Amino acid sequence: MLYDVSIRVKYRYDANVSASRDLVMLTPLDVANAQRVILSALTVDPKPDEWNGRRDFFGNNVVEIAFHEPHRDVTFALKARVERMASGPSLDLSPRLADLAGEIASHRSLAGRAPHHFVGASPRIPLAAETTRYARAVAGRAPSVLAAVVAVGEALHRDIAYRPGVTTVSTPLLDAFRARHGVCQDFTHIMIACLRGLAIPAGYVSGCLRTLPPPGEARLEGADATHAWVSAWCGAELGWVEYDPTNACLAGADHIVIAYGRDYGDVAPVRGVTRTAGGHSSDQAVDVIPVESAVATG
Amino acid sequence: MTERALPSKAAAREARIARLLAHYRPLDGVADELLTADGAIRPVWAEFVAALADMDAEEIALRRARGDQYLSDAGVYYRRYGAEGVAERGWPLSHVPILIDETEWEAIGAGLVQRADLLEAVVADIYGENRLVARGDLPAALVAGNPEWLRPLVGVTPRGGHFLHFLAFDIGRGPQGQWWVLGDRAQAPSGAGFALENRIATTRIYPDHLARANVHRLAGFFRTFRDSLLALRGTERSRVGVLTPGPMNDTYFEHAYIARYLGFTLLEGEDLRVRDGRLMVRTVAGLNPVSVLWRRLDGAYADPLELAETSALGTPGLVGAVRAGNVTLVNALGSGIVETRALLAFLPRICEALTGAPLAIPNIATWWCGERGAREAVKANATRMSIGSAYSSGILFDANEPHAVAGVFNRDVGRSLPDWIDEKGGDLVGQEVVTLSTTPAFAGGGLVPRPMSLRVFLVRTADGWRVMPGGFARIGHDEGSSALALQHGGSAADVWVVADHPVPDETMLAAPSAPFVRPQPMVLPSRAADNLFWLGRYMERTEHTVRLLRAHNIRIAEAASDDTPVLAHSRAYLAGLGVDAAEGMPDALVQTVEAAAAAAAKIRDRFSVDGWNALSDLSQTIQSLSGRITPGDDGARAMGLLLRKMSSFSGLVHENMYRLTGWRFMSIGRAIERASSMTKLLAAFADPAAPEGSLDYAVEVADSEMSHRRRYAVATNRSTVVDLLALDPLNPRAVIHQLNDIDRHVEALPGSEEHRQLTPMQRITLKARAAFAVETPETLDTAMLLALDAEILAMSDILAASYLD
Repeated sequence: MLYDVSIRVKYRYDANVSASRDLVMLTPLDVANAQRVILSALTVDPKPDEWNGRRDFFGNNVVEIAFHEPHRDVTFALKARVERMASGPSLDLSPRLADLAGEIASHRSLAGRAPHHFVGASPRIPLAAETTRYARAVAGRAPSVLAAVVAVGEALHRDIAYRPGVTTVSTPLLDAFRARHGVCQDFTHIMIACLRGLAIPAGYVSGCLRTLPPPGEARLEGADATHAWVSAWCGAELGWVEYDPTNACLAGADHIVIAYGRDYGDVAPVRGVTRTAGGHSSDQAVDVIPVESAVATG
Repeated sequence: MTERALPSKAAAREARIARLLAHYRPLDGVADELLTADGAIRPVWAEFVAALADMDAEEIALRRARGDQYLSDAGVYYRRYGAEGVAERGWPLSHVPILIDETEWEAIGAGLVQRADLLEAVVADIYGENRLVARGDLPAALVAGNPEWLRPLVGVTPRGGHFLHFLAFDIGRGPQGQWWVLGDRAQAPSGAGFALENRIATTRIYPDHLARANVHRLAGFFRTFRDSLLALRGTERSRVGVLTPGPMNDTYFEHAYIARYLGFTLLEGEDLRVRDGRLMVRTVAGLNPVSVLWRRLDGAYADPLELAETSALGTPGLVGAVRAGNVTLVNALGSGIVETRALLAFLPRICEALTGAPLAIPNIATWWCGERGAREAVKANATRMSIGSAYSSGILFDANEPHAVAGVFNRDVGRSLPDWIDEKGGDLVGQEVVTLSTTPAFAGGGLVPRPMSLRVFLVRTADGWRVMPGGFARIGHDEGSSALALQHGGSAADVWVVADHPVPDETMLAAPSAPFVRPQPMVLPSRAADNLFWLGRYMERTEHTVRLLRAHNIRIAEAASDDTPVLAHSRAYLAGLGVDAAEGMPDALVQTVEAAAAAAAKIRDRFSVDGWNALSDLSQTIQSLSGRITPGDDGARAMGLLLRKMSSFSGLVHENMYRLTGWRFMSIGRAIERASSMTKLLAAFADPAAPEGSLDYAVEVADSEMSHRRRYAVATNRSTVVDLLALDPLNPRAVIHQLNDIDRHVEALPGSEEHRQLTPMQRITLKARAAFAVETPETLDTAMLLALDAEILAMSDILAASYLD
């Protein structure tokens, strides 16, 4: 499926920002056998005084920008054409839960997508007894790692209400878990905590969703802003599998990947240090539109 | 005669030594620094012990007091974190040094140099190729789960190629006399400055003995360290800074002390900016490049953009400047990972794998519970182990974290030890319990054995590692080894490396034959300027408030009533300044002095010890008087006392402070505050509607009674008072005098060059001076004074915008 992706993030500040430095992660990622970026362009207005693009530890596209002059608002705009291949496992080749630890231990690499980075607590994801208990209850007896991932995802979709506006990007995941409500970021953080509680390596995927569903299908939740879902390591054979707990489905042809990380902190679309006296507000506009006359691609 | 007297002299000395050591009984199975296993004094100690034995109890007490006096005068302290919060504590010096023979020290040094090279290879691999993980020499999980493994630094080769430049090792001697490495310090090793202070204090205690004892000097090591840091700059003209987390850190004193000793600027994250991939220090003359940072701040806090995002101590973009190869951090960001306690389990094997040789000095036996075999071994031998966090780095387990020593938990974890080990797995290590050697410490009239560990420092030079010939020893406060940390009541001792030949008499000055190293040009960071400016303002505000309160209290005492019109006027005026005159020692005054002390604490490296002590004395006096003073005579006398204490501070500062830019900012702060206070004072007390006695009150507060008498030879009237306190350039209290002062200082600030456009600060100063200069006492009415006060206060904002942002 070929998409035109457009993301616009605007920040407005109550007082002048005297200087700022930001990491911007909005550019979609090339993912082997799953996603190919044909064209992408990031623009920032006003024009930053410094601009440095690179890959981060996890392989994501990140741009570091800095403003030296005072300003009151900033707009980040991303336009891209992305081909998304249908993906997701066709066969469950994942090991039993009990055998996963051995497979992780024998993985002798610290490359960005090695499972080791995604097993312990991370800055925004503590490993709490209550999420682990919940995960064991809903998936402890699953016959395979993949089955456990799906079981946890479906349980969370069932038990947690999708409710925009009740949480923010800084709401601790346990607050959202106890209140049993939240948005995609909360679903994702909670599911990661549950999977890590089962010793399944799990990470955060930031991305966006096809805006309008294919004819006859329901519109996905979270399509009007940047989205988030879970990536879980299901053993050496199957590798990483992506699951969207907000919509209770494997991430597939409607999910555009922007970045992978341990939690939101690693992949926030705009992460920055701003020197300003007042507060700020921001808004986002996201469009993911299928290109009608899809060009045949290899 | 002489032949017969000698043996009896020797016998008398033997007897004195025996008395000194009457209670010195090392425990069985424990090595002792002073005594061999059969109770003989080791040769390296012989002369020192004999010298000690020759002193009587009074002399020893006197000498010890001399050492303590030095430390207290020098303001040496550390922060102690306790149940009641944080407190500054005097430095707990053990007055007996530890003596180690030079030959033994050389063997220790060689072993630690091997270890330093090993750690460099390990950290380079962990941030580089990861061959240790690929080959199975190091478990991936131990790296990936480690909070000190800073992912943004992976793949970044440090400028110059080396990660580690300054290291410390904690070592201890085991029962068989062999040395063990207890822990590795690579993040931001502390203690070198304290080692220096211990040496100076010990020199005060034993000056006579040290002068002839062939004890290696420390200054040469510090000179090498300084020159190595300067050499790391490369060819460009840039600076070396010492990066500190700030005054709340437990070893901030050491940061300030050693920065001053080495001649480097002490910087906080807030002082630094990154511009186009280069690290800059914000100074009053704009941004200046910094190419070498000796950081005393943990790596994770160094950059809130790429590392711990909650850090308020860091500099956004620092990692980017490192990545761009524009700055050398000593040590590289991320080096903290080689301090990981669990790494001790793997270093012996890694050493063999990388160098083909075993560790020359073993580290204490350690098992990482992330591996099944090791975990079972720890469970089976728990009674002979300390079990605690795998990732923390202290040589002793942190009292705030659960741990088990010899099978006993320090706190309830709600489960059995084996279950806890199984559940925590890779988060835990087991370490063999070590019995440390003992060394003499004073107790009562004699010496007793106390456990000790040494911290030894190494610096990388162009010719390889150099070992400090000495170090920092921790001494336990009782016979057990669990109380070595200063935080737990232990003490610190000097370490003497003793040669059997005279040692070079080294100083910080380079030998005449050495290449000349240009001293670092002085630079005033904006933050320091800001603190100096506010220190000047707060001190002046304190003085003015104290003078107001003294005048007020004198009048209460004289009138035996606080109900006169001038007292009502003065009370209302003080209330307008936020000062409640009904309090003997008003809260507002206490707070102003605290604000001054807080500003001074942030720039301690720029202060003379005497100036600092005078300010501490003032602040302690005010706090101790707070709540104990009643208005009236009592209050007037208290204010008099404070004025005397304050004049000792201003004297020290204004007489002794070098006339650098920093002094100018403090002086400008004082002058702006004084100009504004004086203008306000006149607006209130020289107003035609002010009650009888107001003019004399103003003259008294302005400390200008004598001047008034000499100059006018008449009683006060509005014209004489306004003339004297506002317009007379010869009166050091007059407003115009302050403005002239400010003008002179501003002219000397960076950016104000002759025959060029006026700076904004020069412009506003000129405007204010002109405004006053054209007035006469008659035209300078209350409305005009209030308008001019606004103008004076605006100078503060312009100064901040021009130099301090």
